[in-house]
Amino acid sequence: MKEKLKQVNEYEWLINRDERKGMNVDARLIANKKIMDVMEEEAIMQLTNVAMLPGVIDPVWAMPDAHVGYGLPMGAVAAFDKEKGVISSGMTGFDINCGINMLRTNLKYNDVKDKMKDLIPALFSNIPCGVGSKGKLKLNNDLLDEVLSKGVDWAIKNGYGVKDDKKHLEEEGRMDGDPSKVSDLAKKRGLQQLGTLGAGNHFLEIQKVVGILDEDTAKKWGLFKDQAVIMVHCGSRGFGHQVATDYLKIHERAAEKYGIKLPDRQLACAPANSEEGQDYFKAMQAAVNYAFANRLVISHWIRETFESIFDDTWSNLGMSTIYGIAHNVCKLEKVGNKELYIHRKGATRSYPDIPVLIAGSMGTASYILKGTNEAKKTFYSTCHGAGRAMSRSKAIRSFRGEEIKRKLESQGKVIKATGWKVLAEESPDAYKNVEDVVDSVHNAKISTKVARMAPIGVIKG
Amino acid sequence: MKYKFIDEITSDVMFEAYGSDLKELFENSAEALFKIICKIEKVKATKEEIVEIKADNLKDLMFDWLQQLIALVDIKNMFFSKFKILEINENHLKAKIYGEEIKPETGETVVKAVTNHKYELKKEGNKYKVRVIVDI
Repeated sequence: MKEKLKQVNEYEWLINRDERKGMNVDARLIANKKIMDVMEEEAIMQLTNVAMLPGVIDPVWAMPDAHVGYGLPMGAVAAFDKEKGVISSGMTGFDINCGINMLRTNLKYNDVKDKMKDLIPALFSNIPCGVGSKGKLKLNNDLLDEVLSKGVDWAIKNGYGVKDDKKHLEEEGRMDGDPSKVSDLAKKRGLQQLGTLGAGNHFLEIQKVVGILDEDTAKKWGLFKDQAVIMVHCGSRGFGHQVATDYLKIHERAAEKYGIKLPDRQLACAPANSEEGQDYFKAMQAAVNYAFANRLVISHWIRETFESIFDDTWSNLGMSTIYGIAHNVCKLEKVGNKELYIHRKGATRSYPDIPVLIAGSMGTASYILKGTNEAKKTFYSTCHGAGRAMSRSKAIRSFRGEEIKRKLESQGKVIKATGWKVLAEESPDAYKNVEDVVDSVHNAKISTKVARMAPIGVIKG
Repeated sequence: MKYKFIDEITSDVMFEAYGSDLKELFENSAEALFKIICKIEKVKATKEEIVEIKADNLKDLMFDWLQQLIALVDIKNMFFSKFKILEINENHLKAKIYGEEIKPETGETVVKAVTNHKYELKKEGNKYKVRVIVDI
């Protein structure tokens, strides 16, 4: 399929719908040549599979961080007609509302440098992470239902975060979640894990702003050179995984019932306006709320930890939310005068002048970007991170966690992880170069650079 | 060979498990799954749980078996290291699984879910084989 790619301009590529039987719309990719040279054939094939689904809006998009996923590539955006399209649990993926929250501080690198050795272990002990980590919150079924329907409003009411945080979150940290559409098994899994980071590619980083690339916007968002900022990357934990698993099965049956031909079983979906489609949409939003609450609870504990290490209040330390975004989600959004169900799988919303948060790989740069009007063509979407270039098992065979830690520490970074394997698995060399990814979206103008950050402290679950 | 891990997918983990009968196939698949989740050789078999699954067909039975084991990690707060299928046919299984309460030092990573991507269960000659991709 890769040989069918036509270069539209320096940063955009096209596979015309005529190139493969069954495609209803074109497939387009945002990437520079360097990225396109290493883009996997199968990722492109997966993108063309999505173009075959009913009611899909032209075109389906892959972002420069795209790589082979299950069903569709990670780093993909697919929009569907509100009436004739589908909603897909498979396409939204298992980690519903996996995303990022960022906190700013008034502190400069020099203010935190000497405290890092205390700060990172303190954060590590205050924020549960790793497989099987239990939250410090004691929820019962009624409280959990409240989290599922109210998202961060539950958190704020209970003293985790403040009203101002809400203003700086996608969807203000609350969507229309309906706990009655969620299985008991999902709820059981959700009871113990609110306020936990998880494992794998989830992380907490203290970062230093190393470059300001858009002075006016940076100033408006409270960012400055050498500033210490905090990035939290996690999602809806076992709760969201179970919601996705439950509905994958329902959607597989629904696809059969409504005569939807699935090019890949993992693209399981239901007509947007069917009961199966709408039930999932409400259950998924409950998981979205869980994840929003999860990140705000964690943000609260980060603030508390800073308060004790710096012996000052978090508001004096200037620790407000820069922004919070989702990068695994299905949402009904307006593009032009049309409402569309937009699936972003490893992709970020890019609304004009609203922050976009991009996580680099461990040890490399992360970015704050700004959404643009030009992103209308990608259904107001952009990339989400560096994107893997190497499988996890190959990374584990190729790298040693101890060496990676030593290397990062020799660069002055403080690392704390639950094990060595996760460090090898998440080695910076297992990822695409984040600079190529961000250059591509910047030059394609679907989001533009505001600030570049480098990690100074990393916590991996 | 009970199972092997295959390098084919960038963000997730793929394994194949084998068995000369269904009992072996299901036990070996469970072991492969927990090899990803924890340091299975360090997890003591001191507590047991009974798992019972009903499904429309063998493929679904395997899918639900693995999925149930993933959920039990969260619900029971346990890692499992020994799996004994007590009864099995194409639509039903009953198993006893053994493990212990999670000790953080024996953890490896969170398996989010079993995916349908390239999922395959078949009989080759007189041997069963399943291919599974899990999202981590």
